[in-house]
Amino acid sequence: MTSRTLALLVTAFFAVIVGIVFQQIHTSMHEQGIASGGPYDNAAAYPRAVAIAIAALVLVQLLADFISDRKETMRLPPDAFKRAVGLLVVFAVYLCCLGPLGYHLTTTPMVFAIMFICGARQFGKMLIAALVMSFGFAFVFEKFLNVVLPGGVFRLNIPW
Amino acid sequence: MLFESLLAGFQLFLTPLAIGLTFIGILIGLLVGAMPGLGPLMGIILLLPVAIGLPPVAAMGFLIAIFVGGSCGGSISAILLRIPGTPLAAATLFDGYPMAQKGRAADAIGIAISASAIGGLIGGVVLISASPLLAKFASGFAPPEYAMLAITGLFAIAIISGGSLIKGLISGCFGLLLATIGTDEFSTGYRFTFGTHHMLNGFHIVAVVVGLFAISEMVYQVIGNDLLKKPDIKVERPGFGSLLRTLRHWGNLIRSSAIGVFFGALPGAGGVISSFSAYAIAKSAAKEGEKYGEGAEGGVVATESANNATVGGTLVPSLALGIPGDASSAMLLGALLILGFVPGPILFEQEPEFVGGIFLVYMASNVFLLFAGILATPFFVYVLRIPKFYLIPIILILCSIGTFALQASVFDLMVMFGFGLVGILFRAANYPLAPIVIGIILGPILENNLRRALLISREGYWIFLDRPVSATLVCVNVLLVAGALYYACRNRKRFFTKQEV
Repeated sequence: MTSRTLALLVTAFFAVIVGIVFQQIHTSMHEQGIASGGPYDNAAAYPRAVAIAIAALVLVQLLADFISDRKETMRLPPDAFKRAVGLLVVFAVYLCCLGPLGYHLTTTPMVFAIMFICGARQFGKMLIAALVMSFGFAFVFEKFLNVVLPGGVFRLNIPW
Repeated sequence: MLFESLLAGFQLFLTPLAIGLTFIGILIGLLVGAMPGLGPLMGIILLLPVAIGLPPVAAMGFLIAIFVGGSCGGSISAILLRIPGTPLAAATLFDGYPMAQKGRAADAIGIAISASAIGGLIGGVVLISASPLLAKFASGFAPPEYAMLAITGLFAIAIISGGSLIKGLISGCFGLLLATIGTDEFSTGYRFTFGTHHMLNGFHIVAVVVGLFAISEMVYQVIGNDLLKKPDIKVERPGFGSLLRTLRHWGNLIRSSAIGVFFGALPGAGGVISSFSAYAIAKSAAKEGEKYGEGAEGGVVATESANNATVGGTLVPSLALGIPGDASSAMLLGALLILGFVPGPILFEQEPEFVGGIFLVYMASNVFLLFAGILATPFFVYVLRIPKFYLIPIILILCSIGTFALQASVFDLMVMFGFGLVGILFRAANYPLAPIVIGIILGPILENNLRRALLISREGYWIFLDRPVSATLVCVNVLLVAGALYYACRNRKRFFTKQEV
């Protein structure tokens, strides 16, 4: 991926953000009657000004990126890319399952999967480490910090 | 007043919980500082959810101690592995690693820890004496001054924290925009809430920051090739004799600490600039025979005392004005706000005992740093041997539980993940992340004071030029931007490309 592609991605990201700001000002805030008036009533003026500043700065940066003759290419080895995507996918699945399945059923497999993605292959050691990590943290947070971890549909919470 | 505040602070600090957590904070700080890729900011972010459930002084003691310990811990890996645990310790490499190569690793670590503790204490003296004065001066400030001060803080950090001025400003503005999400304080209308109750108070700052920094960092760590590697490091045991060896460099120690405090008090400058500046000055002032770059003790003393003195310096504007000096102090301000305290002159007027408590935990942190650092170094060396494939899931669990614990909300976990993706994009495109945090913290201060100033003004925006302090700050802001633009245009390469410090 080149620096210009990244610059375009960031520009697209901010275009969406600025678009959302203006869309919300003209719909939700307008309907609430907070998109006009003096400093007290007008809650839209400040975010609008910030959004305009972002748009202007992003355009300047985009222009600078394209005028600059320096073009950087970010090369990531395929294995490293797979690891990064793998970690994000595993973590996303974990976060999605955390609510319905609960902490105790999801954390050990997540830790195990991440160690596997990192290249570890000593399954016995990995399993023990995953169990120690997930239950160790649960113990500290539930016992000492009074945090009630997600129990999921099975309401799996350990009364330490 | 100051004496009374400190005395009242003693009552809050002298509890087993506050003292114990300050000590644990130092150990955690040293640990996250020593682990390459983490650092004090990451330590504060990861442990913030734990701290906000604690009594205020114990919570701040815990977080400040992580800041103090983390600012020093990077030197351990810099000396032993030639990899600075944090950018703050980058300059410690110059002489710390050559000392280790000459078989003086234990001396180098001992000197680094002693210099850090003494530098931190000098920073603490400045913090205790200067911040009440600054707060008193700022007590006369009205909304126009606060609005301009917030802009100054944001500009300074956007300009200095990242390589590109424009990118820094974009990140800062993004933070300002994020701060507008939720219920508007004036009109009580809802902004960018999309009709969901989860957004009524905006995104939780901890979820945003954990995502931006910790999740993106883990993705960057997993890209590396050293995930299974177990560094082969010899266990070193520094002794308290290092303290005497450090004190022999008293001139260097005081000068470097003063440099650290100065740069710390300037929003955006921070520990990296102060440690490199202190090193350069110490090198130029070196006596004949002191070979800097080849294992001179003075080099380690200069960099480490400067970067820990910066912590004290950075807390001065943070506590007295509510303007954070860097991302770590912005997180401390975030913690203060979550705990129900408003940083700035009001804090000094209404909660003097709490301010006294903060001063004391800061000083105690530096004392604990000396003892814990020297006695527990072998433990940190063992920890440095832990391969990253164990570390990454530990941090991910901590991120998840910590973020969930904030409000027992799965929505916060989604916010964290979403901002993790944003963090990856920003890092890849070389957009600095620190100004986003500063923007989130300064956003409400800026908007509320801007609107209040306009409400009391009869001449619109001229109110900012009518008042002397506000007008001075307007000039400072104009000069900051003009100077940065001038510098950027002269150094076109830097302006048009990346480079994160």
